[in-house]
Amino acid sequence: MASILVVAEVQNGKVRESSYELVSFARRIAKAQGSEVRSLVVGKGANAAAEELAKKGGGEVYLADHELLAHYSVDAFNRVVRAAVAAASPSVILFSHTPIGWDLAPRVAAGLDAAFVSDCFNVEESGKLVFLRRIFNGKLDARFVPAASPVVATFQPGATSPFEGTADGKVTPLQVALSPQELRAKFVEARTVQKQGVDLSKADIIVSGGRGLGVPEKFPEVIQPLADALGGAMGASRPVVDAGWLPHAYQVGSSGQTVTPKLYIAAGISGAIQHLVGMKNSNYIIAINKDADAPIFEVANLGVVGDLFEIVPALTKAIKQAKGKA
Amino acid sequence: MKIMVCLKQVPHQDARLDVRADGTWIQEENIKFEINSYDTYALEEALRIKDAGQAEVVVVSIGPDRVTQSLRTALGMGADRAIHVKDPEADASDPLGVAKILAAIAKAENPDLILMGLMAEDGNSAAVPPMLAELAGFASTTSVMKVTRSNGTVRAERELEGGALEVVDLTGPSVLSVQTGINQVRYASLKGIMAAKKKPIDTKSVADLGLSGKVGAAAAKIKIEKVYPPPKGKGAEIVTGSTDEIVSKLVGKIKELGLL
Repeated sequence: MASILVVAEVQNGKVRESSYELVSFARRIAKAQGSEVRSLVVGKGANAAAEELAKKGGGEVYLADHELLAHYSVDAFNRVVRAAVAAASPSVILFSHTPIGWDLAPRVAAGLDAAFVSDCFNVEESGKLVFLRRIFNGKLDARFVPAASPVVATFQPGATSPFEGTADGKVTPLQVALSPQELRAKFVEARTVQKQGVDLSKADIIVSGGRGLGVPEKFPEVIQPLADALGGAMGASRPVVDAGWLPHAYQVGSSGQTVTPKLYIAAGISGAIQHLVGMKNSNYIIAINKDADAPIFEVANLGVVGDLFEIVPALTKAIKQAKGKA
Repeated sequence: MKIMVCLKQVPHQDARLDVRADGTWIQEENIKFEINSYDTYALEEALRIKDAGQAEVVVVSIGPDRVTQSLRTALGMGADRAIHVKDPEADASDPLGVAKILAAIAKAENPDLILMGLMAEDGNSAAVPPMLAELAGFASTTSVMKVTRSNGTVRAERELEGGALEVVDLTGPSVLSVQTGINQVRYASLKGIMAAKKKPIDTKSVADLGLSGKVGAAAAKIKIEKVYPPPKGKGAEIVTGSTDEIVSKLVGKIKELGLL
């Protein structure tokens, strides 16, 4: 029977939630195509994770358990995925768009000479498969249609709800011969970036600035005074941290800090996806930007289309006055 | 050592993006283009390796005439020579098509290291670097924040989620896709720009690379059916008026939230 293959990820001995989201997508595609869901679990000692996935919708779960799979290596994992593809002959192969997924899935697709689409937020399966994703850093959406089979696709974590039903599956061991010489990209160690004294996750109020500030001096001149007046902390978007205006510790977004303050004020930030995922769950969001079409206004509660250099200092002054009266 | 840097020319970050008449891409006429920002960091990383020792830096780009400008910029920054794949048959290749073109060049150039950005600012696929590695038979890793080299091994620090990093050692010829912020990108100096005028740009066609019929729009395995502005959500309540009126509304809201 034709199949849809879910390449699951295991973290700390458990199948990641994003993999159960893939199961949800896979079951929808399988239902429309009259095929079945199968999954792959890769790791060392990942038996319990594979058993769990088999009971919770993963269908027949191939388990590749090997000493050399204890840590992620694109070369070893690529070999294993290709072995699972040979066993399952899937029409669609699903990965999460995670540091493993974006590293591994394109290699798999190139090796298979397959159709490839990445970082999707949805899939439509009525009649033909259509993959939906954002392009131009979230400024536009696009519908992608495969013109070849198989299709390899990666999905944004959180793009749908994880599959929560139960279904009878089984675990099938997948034998793959691996030797250390084949691992040309080899795991050495994992590290966390040290935070340099700015813990935005505890701030009730965050005032963030972005590329719209124009020059680094505007952070101490315009953004910091408003943060100070409100008794809050200052944050920033990725482009200004990349440009070296502020240390990484100030960065809000997928590769910086994820924050949920009571009030988030974004000034001169257009709202690239990677910033939005780090702040969109804030209790209340005020955005100030000169571009009325900036994506930041989609997640904001209150928006000001205007010149931040006029609005922000005036707001700072008004806050100080209001506090003086109180 | 030889380093190949793959550059993509993309619409300028502030360019107006209008969907073109057939609905499958943006209107590219009369907008400004620039080198994909991720790729500028890759070029800078290559130039730093060159500055620290002996390396030849070859920049490669695919696209129409306008791409020459970006290649000149890269040569002005310090790259030694450029390869421009200029052929309408290469237009609208999917990421796999682009990877096939770059792999053909990699096979001819035989570099020790290929550096490129994690993704392009237009397609956001992040697909070409690992695909190129697979097709060229190179080692690979992605989202690199630091590169060091010793005795034929490249050590890369990869950025993972939530501020985590992973250290990876790569053996043999390697493709690294770099994350923005890995370094501070230099500007081309006047001297560099003058020197760049004498540096060669080698033009190649798809046929030169032996890829006729294998790349471009017709060979694409994934096609864009439609491009459209994201559906508007509930969106923000937009405050209008004079600066005083706007500020007083914002202060009122902050008070209402109990934060003043």
